Amino acid sequence: MAERYSSFKVGGRRWLWQRITAAFLVAVLAFHFFLLHFVNHADEVTFGMSQGRMQELTYFSLMILFLLTATFHGVNGVYNALVNQGLSGTQETAVKAVLGVASIVLIVQGVRTALAWAGGVPI
Amino acid sequence: MSTQLPDQVEEESTETDAEPTAAPQERRLASKRDRAGEADRRRQAEEADKALDDDTYHLKVFRYDPEIAGKKEPRFDDFHVPFEKGMTVLDALMYARDTYDSSLTFRHSCRQAVCGSDAMFVNGQQRLCCKTQLSDLEAPVRIEPLPHAEVVKDLVVDMQHFYDQMEAVEPYFQTNDYPDGELEEQRQTPENREKVKMSTRCIWCGACMSSCNVAAGDNEYLGPAAINKAYRFTMDEREGEEMKQQRLKILEQEHGVWRCQTQFSCTEVCPKDIPLTEHIQEIKREAVKNNLKFW
Amino acid sequence: MSQSYDRGLVEDFGRWREFTAGMWAWIFHKFTGWVLVGYLFTHIAVLSTALQSPDAYTTTIQSLESLLVVRILEVGLLAVAVFHILNGLRLLFVDLGVGLESQDKSFYASLVLTGAIVVASVPTFLAGVFG
Ligand code: HEM
Ligand code: SF4
Ligand code: FES
Repeated sequence: MAERYSSFKVGGRRWLWQRITAAFLVAVLAFHFFLLHFVNHADEVTFGMSQGRMQELTYFSLMILFLLTATFHGVNGVYNALVNQGLSGTQETAVKAVLGVASIVLIVQGVRTALAWAGGVPI
Repeated sequence: MSTQLPDQVEEESTETDAEPTAAPQERRLASKRDRAGEADRRRQAEEADKALDDDTYHLKVFRYDPEIAGKKEPRFDDFHVPFEKGMTVLDALMYARDTYDSSLTFRHSCRQAVCGSDAMFVNGQQRLCCKTQLSDLEAPVRIEPLPHAEVVKDLVVDMQHFYDQMEAVEPYFQTNDYPDGELEEQRQTPENREKVKMSTRCIWCGACMSSCNVAAGDNEYLGPAAINKAYRFTMDEREGEEMKQQRLKILEQEHGVWRCQTQFSCTEVCPKDIPLTEHIQEIKREAVKNNLKFW
Repeated sequence: MSQSYDRGLVEDFGRWREFTAGMWAWIFHKFTGWVLVGYLFTHIAVLSTALQSPDAYTTTIQSLESLLVVRILEVGLLAVAVFHILNGLRLLFVDLGVGLESQDKSFYASLVLTGAIVVASVPTFLAGVFG
């Protein structure tokens, strides 16, 4: 490993964003659990109740942001864990691609679902 | 690893208490007599020990030698070493080598936690053998070569990878920020010296690297000792701003500081009590701050 | 890392008995993180039944929530999430260089708090499933 290193900053930016999203998720995830298990009970969930919440712009945008940050945080976390285990070269590129596609599918599906509830962007 | 502190204090105090009024010559002779007497007593004690098989320490020592047919399969050998007050793990190993098996191989030199050659895996932890009291350990004492390194023979591991990582951070003072006068010294403020003080204590023993889970998985990771070494110079104000940027560039790459997962295992095992995790974290923050400036 | 012979489980996770607090925290954080991403994907998959029709969604969710296993898994998810949040906060402080000397104590605190919160939440989480 005596060769000189290059390629920097990339790691640092992802490190910082992992932490920024974490700080955001603390609040939102706690809120999410609280709202859907304590305020509303698990056995009472219906499409209508979700619809009611999603038609509020604040709630809708919070949930979209929740989806985006959680996806980034989770997928980036998995990627980091693999790099920590020595992932490199073509394997690394392949994993990056797979994780990238998975994130996009997740986000698209999540946004479509939210829109189905809200019946379009609730402006 | 401050477990040895009480013992050290005890030793120091007995030394200074010894006949403060006697002339130096007399004191030397007296201590010589003492030592001779002690040697006698030790020999007697040893014989008594062997007869009784009492007060001996049971060592289980890892053996392996790829060049000898009978040792190609790694195994543990048992040694029973008579215990003496103040005996370290290194003392016990040396006794075992000198008394029972001269082929028992391990590195050591200074015997006083300075040269960094005898870090081993003792009872499940990376420890410096010359700084580890036998009496602090539970018997049987299991001694193995450092994990996550290639074993050359018995307790000797190949340190090359560790040294390469140390070299990668340019572990020496560099600057182009010279004082004005030609004969002017490069002065460091006491505060700055204090800041880097702990980081200068590294003896390149490799205990931290061996304890690190991430370094075990990711061969390119610089590792705690190299990052600490880089910290020592990055934080040294005499190197100047330009050097600092260059050093951060080395530290900032993918397999530099970001791989640290703050498991604290390096900090836990460092025989020189260097706060490694703290230094690594400070470098991370420094790198982030540095990059934010250019956004 | 390459070994001239196999030290097997003597290395790595065979050493778990010798792990210190910080290493346990790392392993638990890893585990809980992976469970959470896994759940995130499952969660969106289940929720997206809402794309078919409102009724499909309501029946899917309600039939799932009437199963005791699902409720128990939800308690597990709560445990995992609470630990990840609390230890995540611990890690954020570690990143800020705050309280590094008590990193082991804050890990134990996260464990105890997680246990307490989970136990206190069991009644709410199981409510209605025995009805
Ligand atoms: C709610 C508050 C959360 C906090 C405070 C938090 C905090 C953190 C932090 C600080 C890390 C970085 C650990 C490191 O690199 O040393 C991390 C890793 C991770 N987080 Fe979170 N997180 C939260 C929620 C989530 C959620 C909702 C998910 C799932 C989508 C998630 C999945 C992960 C994963 C997969 C990792 C990587 C684990 C590994 O190292 O293998 N986290 N978390
Ligand atoms: S930092 Fe400590 S454990 Fe690591 S090589 Fe230096 S002295 Fe040894
Ligand atoms: S023999 Fe020199 S450090 Fe132990």
